[in-house]
Amino acid sequence: MNKISISLNLNGTDRTILVYPNRRVVDLLREDFKLTSVKEGCSEGECGACTVIFNGDAVTTCCMLAGQADQSTIITLEGLAKDGELDLLQQCFLDEGAVQCGYCTPGMILAAKALLLKNQSPTEAQIKLAMSGNLCRCTGYQKIHAAVKSAVVIYKDKMAQGGESID
Amino acid sequence: MWYGIGNTGLPNPAAAFVEVLGDATANLMFGAADIGQGSGTTMTQIAAEALGLSYEKVRVTWGDTRVTPDGGATSASRQTLITGNAVLKACEQAKETLAGVAAAYLGCQPEELEFSQNTVTKIDDATVTMTYKTLMAEMKAAGKMAVGAGYYNPTTTTLDPNDMSGIPYEVYSYATTICEVEVDTETGEVDVLKVVSAHDVGQTINQSMAEGQIEGGVVMGQGFVLMEEIEVSEKDGSIKNPIFSKYIIPSNLDVPEIYPILVESEGGPGPFGAKGVGEPALIPIIPAIVAAIEDALNVQFTKLPVFPKDIVAAVKEKEAADKNKNN
Repeated sequence: MNKISISLNLNGTDRTILVYPNRRVVDLLREDFKLTSVKEGCSEGECGACTVIFNGDAVTTCCMLAGQADQSTIITLEGLAKDGELDLLQQCFLDEGAVQCGYCTPGMILAAKALLLKNQSPTEAQIKLAMSGNLCRCTGYQKIHAAVKSAVVIYKDKMAQGGESID
Repeated sequence: MWYGIGNTGLPNPAAAFVEVLGDATANLMFGAADIGQGSGTTMTQIAAEALGLSYEKVRVTWGDTRVTPDGGATSASRQTLITGNAVLKACEQAKETLAGVAAAYLGCQPEELEFSQNTVTKIDDATVTMTYKTLMAEMKAAGKMAVGAGYYNPTTTTLDPNDMSGIPYEVYSYATTICEVEVDTETGEVDVLKVVSAHDVGQTINQSMAEGQIEGGVVMGQGFVLMEEIEVSEKDGSIKNPIFSKYIIPSNLDVPEIYPILVESEGGPGPFGAKGVGEPALIPIIPAIVAAIEDALNVQFTKLPVFPKDIVAAVKEKEAADKNKNN
């Protein structure tokens, strides 16, 4: 098998890499790009731990092959904090105590981020639906919801005061 | 529900080391593994409180067998009680040296001093006071070190094999869980709508984390009652559904509104009176959901899980029995 060249925008930077075409995107991110926030859970697209934002959508990278990442834009958790300042969602997860073992957390935050990039004032039902592909065994989801709802409220306040956009 | 904290009728100690350094910060070390329940935070809070340092001044190293003392398993709801007490004892030992030096400096007795907020103060005279940094400079000048090692083993006895008498646990946690469910008698689906889960935790060390334990326990218990069953192959004992597409656990669309209540009872042998909540968080929701379904349908279930097919079968059976009775 010959390696193929993949070019993508990863966390705001253009990257090119030679990989085997059967390499999964989760391995590309974790092993080739050392972005270990991307967690592998079930390996079958059920748990959401390996979620990234792929061309604006939350997708599970365990079920994607490297070729699919060519010419794409991918955001992992490492791409959220800017200049050492946490993303609003990350801060809200901390403030609400929404993290226990932490394994689902990167995927949870990115699923919420993908939603907020499209819909800046989601209803409770929309939040739940957007994050329903991400399983958590520790928290009972209560504090995770509280964190996302809190981010929505804070973001609305910031926008009302003429703040920056969510991305 | 009442539930014993720690291993049943067996010694199960844990230990901790602490050193207060010259810059009035502390290094705390213990073996207890934090698997997300927050023992790292809990022990840091206990040490900060015991030493009179602010939380940020305590650095923690846990679960590293090269340097940390044995903490035993993170199981049996035991780490807050057992490692917590070990941390407390280690800090008290370090504090004994600190209090001696502080008392000499301030001209009073060690037991007259209070350590709080990075300051040492005479309890009945707030003007007699020194900062922790001054204290650590005095320690250095005196050639003394503020170190402590502690371990704790809960007081239990082995159980008599003849009648199981003895003291299996040093302390018990108590809990009551109430839930409201909606049962679709046609499809057998159960919606768990609201859950109130009240737990006697002795003393809350960290409210958000204790609530998180309870909320997580409720949802895991909900899965245990309504969704989860390990299917084992009769041929070779292998698990037939070892994947999330075949072994369904609750998602955020399944979970009820959960209202955790922390009840603080007085005393108890734990650090500041604290007890464990890890397993107690999970257990009472299980009979609560089953009881709620039984209440809704007026039928009894004697095994778990209670799947929709079990509910439909029970409803049909009851209807048939009622019909026979009426005929």
